[in-house]
Amino acid sequence: MTRDKEEKRRSVLFINDHADILLEILKRLDGRSLCTAACVCRLWRALATADSVWEHLCLRRIVSPPPSSPGSSVRPVVSALGGYRRLYMLCVRHLLTRLDRDPGGRWRTSSAWDELQLSLSLFCVDYYERLGGRFGDTAATSSLMFLCKPVNV
Amino acid sequence: MKKRDHQESCSSSYGGGGGGGSSSNGKAAKTCWEDEQDPSGGMDELLAVLGYKVRSSDMADVALKLEQLEMVIGHEDGVSLSQLQNDTVHYNPSDLSAWVQTMLSEINTPLRDPVQSLNGGLDFSDLPDRVSSELTQTHLGFSDDSQYDLSAIPGMAAYPAPPTPPPPPQLQLAAAPNKRMKTSIGASDTNLNVTSSSSSSSSSSAVGGAPESTRPVVLVDSQEVGVRLVHTLLACAEAIQQENLKLAEVLVKHVGMLAMSQAGAMSKVATCFAEALARRIYKIYPQASLDTTSYNDILQMHFYESCPYLKFAHFTANQAILEAFTSASRVHVIDFSLKQGMQWPALMQALALRPGGPPTFRLTGIGPPQPDNTDALQQVGWKLAQLAETIGVKFEFRGYLASDLSDLEPSMLDLRPPEMEAVAVNSIFELHRLLARPGQIDKVLSSIKAMKPKIVTMVEQEANHNGPVFLDRFTEALHYYSSLFDSLEGSGPTVADHDLMMSEFYLGRQICNVVACEGPDRFERHENLAQWRSRMSSSGFAPVHLGSNAFKQASMLLALFAGGDGYRVEENNGCLMLGWHTRPLIATSAWQLAPAVVAAGAH
Repeated sequence: MTRDKEEKRRSVLFINDHADILLEILKRLDGRSLCTAACVCRLWRALATADSVWEHLCLRRIVSPPPSSPGSSVRPVVSALGGYRRLYMLCVRHLLTRLDRDPGGRWRTSSAWDELQLSLSLFCVDYYERLGGRFGDTAATSSLMFLCKPVNV
Repeated sequence: MKKRDHQESCSSSYGGGGGGGSSSNGKAAKTCWEDEQDPSGGMDELLAVLGYKVRSSDMADVALKLEQLEMVIGHEDGVSLSQLQNDTVHYNPSDLSAWVQTMLSEINTPLRDPVQSLNGGLDFSDLPDRVSSELTQTHLGFSDDSQYDLSAIPGMAAYPAPPTPPPPPQLQLAAAPNKRMKTSIGASDTNLNVTSSSSSSSSSSAVGGAPESTRPVVLVDSQEVGVRLVHTLLACAEAIQQENLKLAEVLVKHVGMLAMSQAGAMSKVATCFAEALARRIYKIYPQASLDTTSYNDILQMHFYESCPYLKFAHFTANQAILEAFTSASRVHVIDFSLKQGMQWPALMQALALRPGGPPTFRLTGIGPPQPDNTDALQQVGWKLAQLAETIGVKFEFRGYLASDLSDLEPSMLDLRPPEMEAVAVNSIFELHRLLARPGQIDKVLSSIKAMKPKIVTMVEQEANHNGPVFLDRFTEALHYYSSLFDSLEGSGPTVADHDLMMSEFYLGRQICNVVACEGPDRFERHENLAQWRSRMSSSGFAPVHLGSNAFKQASMLLALFAGGDGYRVEENNGCLMLGWHTRPLIATSAWQLAPAVVAAGAH
């Protein structure tokens, strides 16, 4: 009887024992699900908040990176600016939802790479805006000046 | 209720806010519709419904007094307003019987008809019987006494809330759009977004001591008011054009009042233009000083945040520069108006991801001197340098202080020969300022040629605000800024309120400059793309077509903005224009040295 129970226990798959499979599954999730997954337990959080998963999410729609810009050069830039997770949260997410809102729209001629480029530009502008606040301390006509707003995408 | 004509609807419409109530009533009736007053000597029917008993023949007197009142209230320096506040008698709305008693003791003209025949649903059943019987004996009519007490005007329409407040009378006036208009409106202004939703005005006749419990009584179709607003503005400008300043003065005050009764973009535009016209009439010109330039930078930042025009300008110009720099290993950009340097992070990022790696990026920023001598340019340069280091682009920065672009000498810029580095010149909304003084633009264009740039990008407003005739300029500006304000309004709830407000200030200052100033003080001399094209071509520049990448990027960018359906990107012979619905508002164009000039320069 106990041997049956042991066998049963061994055949049940406990996902947390197989982090590599878990990672593969997480890589295929969308942003919202990924965030939900990060709330499950510490292991899941560690895996789901790793930047590589988010990189996969951001670059997923790009079938093949254009030969002109190898993917390896993008990663250091994005990491320096705050990482893929932040890129997704601030820019890519909004781009995807707003462009999806307009299915047959004029922007469909753009490729996923163009969309990523735009996200990167806006991300860069956001980083710049967050650097050391606004300089305009001279004519302090309005205290609202010093609010550092992230890019309103 | 008998539907009257335009006059009645206007005379019963009340301005927004506490003070404007009855005053707009009378003023409107007097100034614009004197010749259309109903000849019947009987009681004015519409006002009777609201509780006023005014003979139509007495309207002129009433209107005159109200106009005096309105002038006092609307006086600019506000001294008279406080005086008014001290002299006004305020009644405690919760104590109806005491209020009625004081009214009774003050009013000394003979009793008119009793009040019972108030139709419109005023319900006295909840009032204590004692009070209601007193009321029926009260003279609640309109006294022509010149010392009339404003607080007596509210009559019964503004009674305080009884324990169970009855529903307010809702009178829908001016429902039919085909009212007889005094002035025939000519061509319809398709560019003006007149709000057609009826806006309910504030509480009826809430002047002075009106209790807060008054509720909206009158709904007015505001579309007519919007069209009338435009017409009055144009009439005022025409009066100024004909040097008829007295008439212009009257009209401009009227515009101010009409604008208060409107809501939305139209009201803001009208207020800005009315202020600008007033400045022109009274010759109160805004002082341009160093402070104003830095203040303008701050305002422009908010404008940057709230709407896509500046972002569009930056992104399309960057794309043109990027395409010109595809193979260069050292690049140098000269920015005619560095301000906060918001354009350059995106360019640097694109250069960082360029195939073959980033070039060395040199930026020369030109800006006006700051009032407190802080080196604003250096601070911006430092921030850009930080960013460049983060993303791995070699970066150099130089800042030049120049209050005027024509002070710039190419030799000061430390330019290297074109074989070594590729030069780009970038000007966003700067070149039109040079048209204020003769000869400046030519000097600057020849300086640009001396810099031997690979590409010159410029973004300008797509409007002709530089014509010789004031009225034409005014009309054009009215249409242009109406579209702009419309687009700001269309961005809706996603934009923070303070950004929106500051953007409106920013545009308001431009309007002031276009309308109120003349000569070298008027620096907002916008010209449209066709005019710039001819100027650049005759100065020795050849156009560069902005590619499809720029178009795609611009389209995507606009999709991100709420109200993105209203924005339109158009391509016009290689230049890109961003507009709101059918009206193009800004245009990006790119230029290079014409081959003849290059050949001549090589010798």
